[in-house]
Amino acid sequence: MPNRIVVADDESHILHVLSMKLSNAGYQVLTAMDGEEALELCRNELPDLLITDYQMPIMTGLEVCRALRQDERTRGIPVLMLTARGFDLEQAQMSQVGIREVLSKPFSPREVLVKVQEVLGASAPPAGQDGADSSQRKKPDPGRECVNRG
Amino acid sequence: MRTAKKFGLASVALISLGVSIACCVMAVAARQGQAGLPELGCLAPLAVATLTTLLLLAFWRRLRRSVGDVSQQLDAMARQKEVGLVMVESSGELSPITRPLNQFLTGLKDTLNQLRCENRELQIQSRICEAEKKHTEAIIFSISDAVVVTNRFDELILANEPAEKLLGFRLEPSLRKNIDQIIHDGTLVRLIRSTRSGGRGYMRKVVEHTIDSRGQPRVFAVTLSCVMSDQGQEVSGVVAVLHDVTREKEIAQMKTDFVSNVSHELRTPLSSIKAYVEMLQDGEADDEKTRREFYEIIAGEADRLNRLIDNILNISRIESGVVRVMREPIVLTAVARQALDVLAPQAKAKNLRLADKLVPVYRQVEADRDMIYQAIINLVSNAIKYTPEGGTVSVATSIDEKRGVALCEVSDTGVGIEPEDLPRIFEKFYRVQSSVKMAKGTGLGLTLVKHIIETVHEGKLSVTSERGKGATFSFELPLLKEALVHA
Repeated sequence: MPNRIVVADDESHILHVLSMKLSNAGYQVLTAMDGEEALELCRNELPDLLITDYQMPIMTGLEVCRALRQDERTRGIPVLMLTARGFDLEQAQMSQVGIREVLSKPFSPREVLVKVQEVLGASAPPAGQDGADSSQRKKPDPGRECVNRG
Repeated sequence: MRTAKKFGLASVALISLGVSIACCVMAVAARQGQAGLPELGCLAPLAVATLTTLLLLAFWRRLRRSVGDVSQQLDAMARQKEVGLVMVESSGELSPITRPLNQFLTGLKDTLNQLRCENRELQIQSRICEAEKKHTEAIIFSISDAVVVTNRFDELILANEPAEKLLGFRLEPSLRKNIDQIIHDGTLVRLIRSTRSGGRGYMRKVVEHTIDSRGQPRVFAVTLSCVMSDQGQEVSGVVAVLHDVTREKEIAQMKTDFVSNVSHELRTPLSSIKAYVEMLQDGEADDEKTRREFYEIIAGEADRLNRLIDNILNISRIESGVVRVMREPIVLTAVARQALDVLAPQAKAKNLRLADKLVPVYRQVEADRDMIYQAIINLVSNAIKYTPEGGTVSVATSIDEKRGVALCEVSDTGVGIEPEDLPRIFEKFYRVQSSVKMAKGTGLGLTLVKHIIETVHEGKLSVTSERGKGATFSFELPLLKEALVHA
């Protein structure tokens, strides 16, 4: 069972790139285009990791994080935050809302993958990179998954 | 006095002579027993008394004349309010009085002259002070900032009209009241008091303070300065100047927000470009089709970045007034048709009907062709973006002869705009959250249109919309008062 990651960003290209990079690395990626969808997806799917943009329609990434902390089931989901704005949060505040790392845009997908692997650790290795699952996900359609789920 | 002595001695001599003669006559008469001589003895004293009286009368008259003379001179001095010397005959009997009197009067005259000089000096000083006071008051009253001045007892001694309006009081200069009885803003009162009590030497501090003005909180930079006494030892008052910095703060905030928004908007396409380039470098796109797709995305995002920079520059040029406007008589319909031709493929790709409602006969407007073209392009491409497949985008032009304007109307059958978003859609970087997913945008397109139509061309841009039923953007430009032109 591959690790499942929810990626939330209102930019379809970012979703596209991250989905592709992570799928190629063997993770199962679910995408959301706004904060509300991301929260919904996390509650329904209980992913192993949430990668979210800070500035998104309806709810910001930070609001999503806070909402996740309210719910017993989603409290433990670690978060990687992407942001195109200067994001000023103390380490303590970040860990309070479950943010493991803040990556500023423009980001490197390679670096995101490294962080994802760090967070998810070796204990849950991604599914076989040459497996059928990853090949199916090589060209994900951004936003489609979340639309189906939404 | 000498004369009085002379008169006195003469009188005594005469009386003595008269009495001696009378005594001699009486003695001779008694010895000889002659009659007639006693009459002579009686007549002699009488003659002496008469002579004495005459002498005394003469003396009295002379004395009265001298006193009258002195009195007249003193009267004249009193009348003329001028101190002079009392002139009498040097040998006169009053000269012993007038000499010290003249000495006194000379001293008095000097003192009086000195006092007059000093008085004149003081009057000049006082006039200068009065003029300076009026000057200072005029300066204070002409300042648009609120100014209040207190004395060492924290009594309000001066306040200009803005201060009265802002702090809600009416200053009565004759009634000196403590500031806490006049100014209800406790913080300001405390600030003034602490400036006075803690003032050492020349002191000036600026404190930011928010005051509710007609229900609106406004931020003021309060400059508090001490007025020092002549000796410079103690504080004799405080001047507080309240400068409204609300707008400056808003502008500073707007600037910060603008820079932050710009950097965010620039980073977004840049993120995509960087990410896709890295994916290509890492060989993540392993087939030609994917690679081509990536190249297209990178090119598209680079174009987006370019458009964004163009828009930011255009808006900032218009806002700062440095934009070069090439005004020429143009026909709105012709410019609109040109824009429609360019956007037709985009509408077709989305399966939208592009309805051309351009009137064939029209008048000219004086405008910058490229700018108006850009405005129409922005409006029509926005309509295309936010209209789902199968919808219609119509562009109409018309002339309102009565109002002397040419109109251009772009309407669509798209998602429409929420009423709460309508007032804000022309703001920089404002994007309607509910439709943000429908299309990419810089959040600057409509701001630019607004600037082009209203700031540059003194026209009018308006929008009407109903949720789910599309939106209509229309603008009007003043018609040129010239002959009709046929397309």
